[in-house]
Amino acid sequence: MPTQPGSNLSAYLSHELRNALACIHQFGNILVDGLAGELTGEQREYVGIMLENASKIRSVLDSALDGVPGPPEKSTNKIECVSKLET
Amino acid sequence: MDKTKILVVDDNPTIRKGLSVRLRANDYEVLFAEDAISATAALVTERPDLVILDLGLPGGDGFVVMERLQRNDRLASIPVIVLTGRELAGNRDRALQAGATAFFQKPVEDSTLLFAIRKALDVSRGELRFDE
Repeated sequence: MPTQPGSNLSAYLSHELRNALACIHQFGNILVDGLAGELTGEQREYVGIMLENASKIRSVLDSALDGVPGPPEKSTNKIECVSKLET
Repeated sequence: MDKTKILVVDDNPTIRKGLSVRLRANDYEVLFAEDAISATAALVTERPDLVILDLGLPGGDGFVVMERLQRNDRLASIPVIVLTGRELAGNRDRALQAGATAFFQKPVEDSTLLFAIRKALDVSRGELRFDE
């Protein structure tokens, strides 16, 4: 159930989750962009999966905490692993 | 020519580290402050070209830092980009009214942040109006 924007719980979740997500996002992109050395194709693909899923969590946060509507297919607040890898 | 100096104010050391890697890779000099008090001190002693400011800080929040900045004629023209984990409601409009040039929630795309930095610097140097 979405939290009420402006509530203490909503403020707490926003701060904690967005900071943690920002760290994943920042360092994932640092790796992908080769700022910490070049990645192999496979490593780049795996970090890409992490970033893609971090974006999905962000969409859910935007929608649940700030009322920002996500894309229709992401509006269920259901988080599933996104991967282009074949299973 | 001196590098453009950016003050990153955030109490989270991992966020500071990530921003410093990204900003240094884009040829900016990066300074840090982890609370409102050290941020105010760094503004006075270092006179950065731009500030990336979190809102939730120990020792007074980011609004306190912007208020002090605005009260100082020598510092009031320094552009401030707010980068926060706080909610939009009650924070975005307040930050913009307090003098922030831009407001972003974490996480922000690097390209978006770097574009906002370049634009804010161009505006503060008189090379561009902000609505351009």
